[in-house]
Amino acid sequence: MERGEKGTTQNMRSISYSRVADVATAIATVTADPDAAYLAGGTTKVDMLRIYAEPSQRLVDINDLPINHIELQPDGAVRLGALARMNDVAMSPIVAQRYPLLAEALVLGASAQLRNMASMGGNMLQRTRCSYFRDHEAACNKRVPGSGCSALTGVNRGHAVLGTSEHCIAAHPSDAAVALSALDAVIHVQNRDGHHAYAIDDFFLAPEDTPEREHPLQHGDLITAIEIPPLPMARDSLYLKVRDRESYEFALVSVALALRVEGGAVAEVRMALGGVATKPWRARRAEHALLGRPATHEHFLHAAREETADAVPRSMNGFKIELARRTMVRALETVTARGGTP
Amino acid sequence: MTTIPFTEPLGTAGSCAFSVAGTTENAQDIESLAGAAPAGPARIADRVRRSGQVAQVRPADATRPTAQVRVGARPTGLDVRVGGGVGSSPQRPDGRLKVSGEFAFSSDLWADDMLWGATLRSPYPRAKLTGLDLTAAVALPGVYAVLTAQDVPGRRVYGLEHADQPVLAGTEIRYQGEPIAIVAADHPETARRAASLIKADYEVLAPVTDPDAALLPGSDRVHADRPNLLRHVPIRKGDPAATAPVVVTGEYQVGMQDQAFLGPESGLAVPAEDGGVDLYIATQWLHVDQQQVAACLGLPQEKVRLTLAGVGGAFGAREDLSMQVHACLLALRTGRPVKMVYGREESFFGHVHRHPARLRYEHGADRDGRLVYVKASIVLDGGAYASSTGAVVANAATLGIGPYDVPNVVMDAYGLYTNNPPCGAMRGFGAVQACFAYESQMDRLAAAVGLDPVEVRLRNALTTGDRMPTGQLVEGPAPVAELLRLVRERPQAPAGADFPPGGTANTTRGEGVVRGVGYAIGIKNVCFSEGFDDFATARVRLELVGGRPAALVHTAAAEVGQGLVTVQAQIVRTELGVEQVTIAPADTSVGSAGSSSASRQTYMTGGAVRAACLALRARLAARLTALGRAPSTSDNDKKGPFLSAEEWVGALEAGALEETVEWRHRPTHALDPETGQGDAHVQYAFAAHRATVDVDVELGLVKVVEIATAQDVGKAVNPQAVAGQIQGGTAQGLGLALMEEIQVVDGMVRNPSFTDYLLPTIMDMPPMRLDVLELADPHSPYGLRGVGEPPTISSTPAVVAAIRAATGAALTRVPVRPEHIVGA
Amino acid sequence: MTCTVNGVPRTADDVWEGESLLYVLRERLGLPGSKNACEQGECGSCTVYLDGTAVCSCLVAAGQAVGREVVTVEGLSGGPDAEPGPVQRAFLAAGAVQCGFCTPGLIVAVDDLLSRNPHPTDPQIREALAGNLCRCTGYEKIMEAVRLAAGGQA
Repeated sequence: MERGEKGTTQNMRSISYSRVADVATAIATVTADPDAAYLAGGTTKVDMLRIYAEPSQRLVDINDLPINHIELQPDGAVRLGALARMNDVAMSPIVAQRYPLLAEALVLGASAQLRNMASMGGNMLQRTRCSYFRDHEAACNKRVPGSGCSALTGVNRGHAVLGTSEHCIAAHPSDAAVALSALDAVIHVQNRDGHHAYAIDDFFLAPEDTPEREHPLQHGDLITAIEIPPLPMARDSLYLKVRDRESYEFALVSVALALRVEGGAVAEVRMALGGVATKPWRARRAEHALLGRPATHEHFLHAAREETADAVPRSMNGFKIELARRTMVRALETVTARGGTP
Repeated sequence: MTTIPFTEPLGTAGSCAFSVAGTTENAQDIESLAGAAPAGPARIADRVRRSGQVAQVRPADATRPTAQVRVGARPTGLDVRVGGGVGSSPQRPDGRLKVSGEFAFSSDLWADDMLWGATLRSPYPRAKLTGLDLTAAVALPGVYAVLTAQDVPGRRVYGLEHADQPVLAGTEIRYQGEPIAIVAADHPETARRAASLIKADYEVLAPVTDPDAALLPGSDRVHADRPNLLRHVPIRKGDPAATAPVVVTGEYQVGMQDQAFLGPESGLAVPAEDGGVDLYIATQWLHVDQQQVAACLGLPQEKVRLTLAGVGGAFGAREDLSMQVHACLLALRTGRPVKMVYGREESFFGHVHRHPARLRYEHGADRDGRLVYVKASIVLDGGAYASSTGAVVANAATLGIGPYDVPNVVMDAYGLYTNNPPCGAMRGFGAVQACFAYESQMDRLAAAVGLDPVEVRLRNALTTGDRMPTGQLVEGPAPVAELLRLVRERPQAPAGADFPPGGTANTTRGEGVVRGVGYAIGIKNVCFSEGFDDFATARVRLELVGGRPAALVHTAAAEVGQGLVTVQAQIVRTELGVEQVTIAPADTSVGSAGSSSASRQTYMTGGAVRAACLALRARLAARLTALGRAPSTSDNDKKGPFLSAEEWVGALEAGALEETVEWRHRPTHALDPETGQGDAHVQYAFAAHRATVDVDVELGLVKVVEIATAQDVGKAVNPQAVAGQIQGGTAQGLGLALMEEIQVVDGMVRNPSFTDYLLPTIMDMPPMRLDVLELADPHSPYGLRGVGEPPTISSTPAVVAAIRAATGAALTRVPVRPEHIVGA
Repeated sequence: MTCTVNGVPRTADDVWEGESLLYVLRERLGLPGSKNACEQGECGSCTVYLDGTAVCSCLVAAGQAVGREVVTVEGLSGGPDAEPGPVQRAFLAAGAVQCGFCTPGLIVAVDDLLSRNPHPTDPQIREALAGNLCRCTGYEKIMEAVRLAAGGQA
């Protein structure tokens, strides 16, 4: 079959583009149109458009908004504008000195070309790499609620063992969010009605029976900043990432760790895991098990076991449980061995 | 046309019969239609390269006084030599264009009024197509054609060995991604959208996915009209009941590897006024494409004209058709040029892959480690269509015990149809899979008899005068032992590396890290085997340009990145002493060159170019004699130019001279279907690797610290390109060892992207130490030996052996992932 | 859409707003030097400068480039007849070009690296180029090329 008339570019998916220069206009524009979406760095959004994950869309480019600063606050907190680029944050002395675990997570998270473009706010909304999520033929409760989860019995080597449900086992992809989780960061959001601040642990949602909901944002909500409270011991912190090759690749297991050892015992600890959980995973059980205990291999291993006690392995990812334990121990020993903070 | 049927040996390394080309003074004049402009002054480079070629001379095996050991040329300055003959490393004629972004790859082509093609593919690996509704797709403005199987005017199937693959699926769907319909539209997005608007109805069937089960009598057939067993190659040598005091057995698996060339499948079809079509295409073999495309279009071959567009890598994946017929169908139907460019995901469905394999081996040996027998069974999953499975099976069988002298062999290799993705050619095919198994076995044997892994290999090393399991005599150099010694004798890599296992990711400060060293050696056949009429055609034209001689070389040989265009010009300079050599675009207006595969193209097209030059030399001499001017070249002086400037003018002022030669290697023969006996191969090539790894045994991470490799190339026609082939091939073997696998579950590909199918990055590759032997093959041009495939073959088992040495893990499957090392 | 490409103001007509900067460069502005090997930000073959920063042009929406300065591989040599730049010459001299599909992206990435760090160590080179895939060379000659371009010995 064929036809011969001249077509035009009006026949494609309806995708439009506009730029806004201030936050209020951005929020008003997106809120008013259910098909509208913020376009920041574009490194996820443009990819999702290409693979047809989003059939039609009104892109509202927010890159001109004045929310890209990296600022040290009077109280010692650091405020990262949502449009600060991953690379700018990683290279910022303010961040690199105070929160090396975040700088390392950012550098390990993506190639230079992507870090140069991708924004901090966008990184918080990065979508999972679960191949069933991206495969329109597969069942995926995250993409089509109620359709099922092909990963439960499929290729789930890269999937989560913590925070899973029978509806979704997709691993959260971000490295930076894992570091921010250990740092108790706060996500600042603005919408038509005003300003909201979410503790990072409340921002990322485990799938439970609504895996399509990854965060509490409503349409039109705009992440404006990420605030990191002061944490002196984080000056000697670590982001450790285990992956399938030596360079850019999603974590099999990662550990973000800040640790203070005093008199041979753990005086203060923050730990979060990536690659093994459905959300950036704050390792509270391990932290609890460590606090006040001797900083020794035996106690590190015990804490790691505690953290993974409820882990649920699937057909191909059981190895992640043991690997996560070993990685936690390695991270704890690494920070301990290099002296920790005084 | 001059046909030289099984030509006599044309020469051996180090005895170039005529002039060595070119001084660099004339380098600025070199140009090429395919590539071109000369790069800067070549003054410094000349000196650098001459020293660079012999940058490291190491003592060769004393029993082989002719051996010459070299490493690839290493430049120390920015200047690039443009001209140069055989044995030098001139700049690629297409290099200038490639570094400036101006080189036209097949996906870069563009024509006025061009349309874009897109393909609808089956989401199911096995199904019956019960209905197709094109209405919505056709109704979309901007769409010019929507075609299905009914619209294929000629033969509806194609294939390299068996025409069993539909151009577009009729009712039977046999693999996920099988093309069902094609669309032409005025924008790629419109074309893709139209394809997605086609409503296809399927009756989904349970796919045949397990190759072992597919062999069983009760299995569903993938093709109703033939059994699932596509080819079985048995080989019987010696006593099938031989026994030995030491027996080691093993079962091994090789995952499905992707060629992962970077330039996606693409091309531009332009309808012609004569009712035919011109296709600009990235391929490995223009003429075999032409034959298949013409048959499917129902056109005489001369109306389907192919021109090679820039090829962004191939590695076997461009041997089969992808979008060729589709683009031509759309162009002929719409009357407009049609461009098709696959995205990366579509590319994973658009070409064949390396056969996954299950290999079961039993080695019997004396207590001193000398092999008494090898029994092996190799099952190769060919997927839905035949592609080159037959040749892959034959390679696995005939090369399946490795470069070892074994008196008794019972070998059976099988190629199967399943509903998995079709598999076919990839660098080293058949030999790669077998080498992982037989080299793993040699390490087990070494352990069983208490020998060093290299020593057990040396005791069994194949050498000149031995017979392969097929009964074929190993003629010419077979430096298996020498290559092993070379990699063993390389100084061990110093402790530490640029990065620990895990790279920059803070995984270790040394704790848990264990070093391991592993060895492997492989064997590969070069050129086409089993009696195939393998030939290459070259046309060389000589004429005066600006009062000076210039040569135009025209072949249909595919430059896929390996540097064939460079080599062709080098050969002309060496044989004719002509400095100005132009390589014409490869197309089907000249005879077939055969495929850029099987490590054959420098041998074959190089041989054809050389033969054409020799024929021209005779004609030049005759012309000068007729003019009463005895040529000054009777002394065959290796250093001087062939003709003086005046003689050139004298010889060519009467008009251009042109020779077209169809050149063949010595014949090969079929294998006996019962015993596998026969002189099936033209030439054997060998490479050895020593891999040094640091393994974090607690976290399962591997850092390959260094790879030492030694390969006999017969003659390094272009030392820099030889080094590039060895390094690049080794990298692909490392990828198979550590990370590369297409995950297929129930016939479905789960990782069709570069995010999920991992390729080695510059962080993953170690420094590589090369030893290049030049032991001339008496039968080949310049004594050369095919270079491209051997380095891919033994690098995989060497890396895995090194990990085993560090961890003690069995590691019977590649790729090796952290979980296999952690053992959890 | 209008932007400055390689120092020249350029306008592309009929741009569909779902197009990437890579598509606009390749198909609308006649600059196919930036390559399309994965279009997913994994291979680096499409690397260009956007306002002086190296980015994957496949992941930049066309609109994002409006009014910005884009420099492509074509802009790193002075034009078809000009001498190639030092990074380009180094790639030729080292034999770092085989099929050449990764080359344009690598040339831009190396140019970017050397502009920030004129004398990188080997580990620094590897880290900086880890976002650029090459399937032909095994990267050895690319390392040589970068060392050469940095003025050292290969």
